[in-house]
Amino acid sequence: MFLEQLSGNLIQGLVLGAVYGMATMGLSLIFGVLKVVNVGHGAFIMVGAFVTLWLFNALGISPILAVPVAFAVGMGLGFIFYYTTMQRLIKAPELATLLATFSFGIILEELVKLIFGSEFRGYNWVLGKIDIGVTVLPMSKLYACIGSVIIALLLYLWFNKTRTGSAIRSVVEDSEGARVCGVNVGGAYALSFSLGIGLTVTSGVLLTMFIPVGINPYMGGGYTLKAFVIAVLGGLSSPYGAFFGGLVFGFIENGSYTLFALIPGVEPFALTRFLSFMMLLAILLIKPTGLLSTK
Amino acid sequence: MKKEITKYYPLIPVFAAYLVLFLIGKNISGMWQLVAMLLFYCAMGQAFNIFLGMTGYVDFGYVAFMGVGTYGMALSITNLAHIEGLGIGIIIIGFILALVMSTLLSMAVGAVALRLRGAYFAIATIGVNEGFRFLIEGARIWNGSEGLIFTAQLNQILGREGASSLMTFWADIMVLIIAALAAFVTLFYMRSKIGYALTALREDEDAAKVMGINVTKYKIIAFITSACFAGLVGAASWALKTPYVFPPEVFEIHYTIEAIIIVLLGGAGTLLGPVAGGLIYGISKYYLAIFMPGFQLLVFAPIIIIIIVLFPEGVVGMLKSRTKDSVLARFII
Amino acid sequence: MSLLKLENVTKRFGGLIAVNKVSLEISKGEFVGIVGPNGSGKTTLFNVISGVYFPEEGRVIFDGLDITTLQPYKRAPLGLGRTFQIPRPFASATVRENVAVGAMFGSLSGKVGVDESLEIADQTIERVRLQEHRDKPAGTLTPVEKKLMEIARALAMKPKLLLMDEAMAGMHPNDIDHMVAFIKQVAVEEKIAIVAMVEHIMRAVVGMAEKVIVLHQGSKIVDAPTKEALEDPKVVEVYLGHPPEE
Repeated sequence: MFLEQLSGNLIQGLVLGAVYGMATMGLSLIFGVLKVVNVGHGAFIMVGAFVTLWLFNALGISPILAVPVAFAVGMGLGFIFYYTTMQRLIKAPELATLLATFSFGIILEELVKLIFGSEFRGYNWVLGKIDIGVTVLPMSKLYACIGSVIIALLLYLWFNKTRTGSAIRSVVEDSEGARVCGVNVGGAYALSFSLGIGLTVTSGVLLTMFIPVGINPYMGGGYTLKAFVIAVLGGLSSPYGAFFGGLVFGFIENGSYTLFALIPGVEPFALTRFLSFMMLLAILLIKPTGLLSTK
Repeated sequence: MKKEITKYYPLIPVFAAYLVLFLIGKNISGMWQLVAMLLFYCAMGQAFNIFLGMTGYVDFGYVAFMGVGTYGMALSITNLAHIEGLGIGIIIIGFILALVMSTLLSMAVGAVALRLRGAYFAIATIGVNEGFRFLIEGARIWNGSEGLIFTAQLNQILGREGASSLMTFWADIMVLIIAALAAFVTLFYMRSKIGYALTALREDEDAAKVMGINVTKYKIIAFITSACFAGLVGAASWALKTPYVFPPEVFEIHYTIEAIIIVLLGGAGTLLGPVAGGLIYGISKYYLAIFMPGFQLLVFAPIIIIIIVLFPEGVVGMLKSRTKDSVLARFII
Repeated sequence: MSLLKLENVTKRFGGLIAVNKVSLEISKGEFVGIVGPNGSGKTTLFNVISGVYFPEEGRVIFDGLDITTLQPYKRAPLGLGRTFQIPRPFASATVRENVAVGAMFGSLSGKVGVDESLEIADQTIERVRLQEHRDKPAGTLTPVEKKLMEIARALAMKPKLLLMDEAMAGMHPNDIDHMVAFIKQVAVEEKIAIVAMVEHIMRAVVGMAEKVIVLHQGSKIVDAPTKEALEDPKVVEVYLGHPPEE
C-alpha cells in the first residue's frame, strides 16, 4: 500500500518535473548564450500565470490558447529589456547584469501588483481526471506535462535543424569565431535573450495548468530558487540538461514530501523547500557544471 | 603620528551626518521616527557595503544574517529573563549571541558559496534566506513558524518604562553606534592590506591571485564582517524595537533589495556611499509612502537599472571625481 | 643552482596538447627568451609556471621547491612575478595603489606594511618614469602606460624570477630599446630578478636574452645561446624567414 502510494507520488513528481524542467529552459538558454544569470526568472513565470488568468477569467479563453499569447508577450518583454538595458551591459562586470535582471523582476512584480492587486487568485479549468492505476491525474496536469515535452522538442528541433538555431549554437561555442564567420552576434544575443524570456513566460501558463491557484504578483520567488537548483543540476548552460534536471527535481521533491510527512513534529512543505536549497549547495560544491553534464 | 590621524579624516563627514541626524531627531518633535528609519538604512547599507562594495559580489541572501541576529537577541531575552539581577546584561548577551550566530551562519554559507565565482556565488546565496527560514519553520526550531514573542520578558527585565524607552529611543541609539562602528571598520579595512586585496580581487580576481593575493581568505574576511554587522543591526533594530520575531518577516528578501539600492545609489565601495544612499533612499521612501503608497519599489527598481547603466559609481563616486583635486578630497572616499 | 626547472611538463586541454613534454632550466640572474609562433604554447607554459593551470604530467620546481600544484597566490611570495600579454590593471585603483599591491603581496609579503609598500611603489614608479600618472586611476592610462605600470607592479614584488609575457608588443622600436636597457639594468641591480621573456619581437630577444628557447606546437625544438639559436635552421624554418632585425 505504501509502495503504491510512493510510486503514485513519484509519477506525479515526474509529471510535475517535466513542467519544472520546461520552466527552467529559458534560464539555461540565457546563461548559455549570454553568460547572464536571470535572477528575476520567477517574475517572468508570474507574468505568464497572469496572462493565463486574465485570458481565462476575463475573456474565457482556454489556457492552451494562452500559450502562444504568453510566448509573444515574453518575446516582446525580452526584446524590450535587451535593447534598453542588457545590450549596454555586455562589457560590464557580472554584478551589473545580476542586478539588472533582478530589477526587471521587481519592476514586473510591482507593475502586476499595480494592475491586478496583490490578492491571491486562481481559475477553474475542470477537465476531468485520468486514472493510471497507482494514482489519479487531473487532465489539466497531463496537458501541462505534454505541453512541456512538446515545447522542449520544438526547441531541440529549432536549435539543431534551422539556420538561426545553428547560428546561435555557434555563438555559444565561440562568439568571436562566429562573428568572423558573419554571424550577427548582437542579433543572436537579442534573439536568445528574448527567446529565453519567451520560454519562461510560457512556462508560467503551463505551471498554472498544474497549480491554478495561489496566483499573485510575488509568486515567482519560490520558483526562482527551484529553477536555479534545476538549472545547476542539469548544467547551467544547457536547456536540455535543464529539462532532465527538472524531471529529477520533480521526482525528488514529491518523494521527499511523502517521506517528510512520515516524520512526526515537522512541517513537510517547509522542509521540502529547505531540501531544495541544500541540493543546490551540494551540487555547487560537488560539480558546479551540472550533475547531468559531461564537462 | 599626525599621519596616523589624518588617515581617519574621512570618518568626519560620516560622524557629522549621524550627529546632525541625532540632533534633529532629539530637538524637533515628531522627527525621531524618521531619524530612526534613516539610521537603520545607513547602518544596513554600511554593513552590506563591506561585502558588496568592497568585493563586488552580490549576496542575495543577505537578510538571513539580519534575521539570525534578531533571533540571537530574541533567544537571549526569552531564555534569560527569569534570571534575577542580569538586567541590561541580557541585552549585551543578546548582542553577543547575535554576533556568534551570524558568524556561524556566514561561515557555513561562506564555506560553500565563497569558493564559487560571480554568478554561481549569487545563485548559491539566493536561497540562503529562504532556506534558513524554511529550516526554522520545517524543523520547528525556536518555535518554528509561530515565532517568538517576548514583550512580557522585556518588561520583566527592564520594567515597563525601561522597555518602552528602549524600544522608542535607546535601540535607535544602538543602531547609530553600530552604524558608526561599521563605518570605522570599513575605513580601517580600506587603509589596510585587506582593502588593497579586496579592491584587487574586485577588479580582476585572476590577476589578483597571480599577484599573490589569497582571494578566498579576503572574501571570507569581508563576508563574515559584513554578516556580523548585519546581525547586530537585526538585533538592535528589529528585536529591540518590536518585541517579537516571525520567520517570514525577518527573512524577507525585500530588505536585501533595499540594501542593494542603498549601496548602489550611494556608491558601492566608498565610505560615505551608504550614508548618502541611506539618507536619500530613506527620505525618498518616507515621502513616497505618504504621497504614493505602495509605489516605492516600482520607482526604485528602474533607478537601480539607471544607476547600473549610467552612473555605476553612485552619488559619492561622482562626488569623489569632482572633488579629487580639492581640499575636500581627503574627506570624501 | 637552477632557479626554475621544468621537467617533462605536459598540459592538455581535452584532446589538444598545448605543452608537450617541455623541460628547461633557468638559473639565477639569467636572461632567457622563450619564442615561438602563435599557438606554440608559450602563454600556456607561463600559465603553468605561475599556477593558473596545473600540468597533467611533469614537475615545476622553483628555487628547490616543487610548486607543480601550488596555488598561484602562494607562488608570488616565493619570488615569482608575472606580467600579462594584455595588461590587467586594477582599473579603479590609482597607479600608485596598483604598484603597491605588488609590493604588499609579493616576496616581501608579511614583512612590509601599507606605508612601506606605498614608498616602494613610489620608487618603482619613478624608475619606469610614470610619476606624473601616479595618482590617476589605472583604467585611464594609455595602453603603453598600462604596460609600464604592469612592469612596475611586477617589479615591486621584488621577484627572483620575472615572467614577462609579450611585454613589448605594440611598442615603437625606440621604446623597445629603452625598455630592454631599463629592464636589463633593473635586473642586474636587483641582482636576483631574472627576466624570462616571451617575444615575437626579435629585436627585444636579441637585445636581452643570453639564451633562447624555441617552442613549436607545444614542444621545445631549440634551447641554446641566442646567436646560435636564431641561426638554427629549425628556427628559421618555423618562423618562415624572420631573421633578427639589425
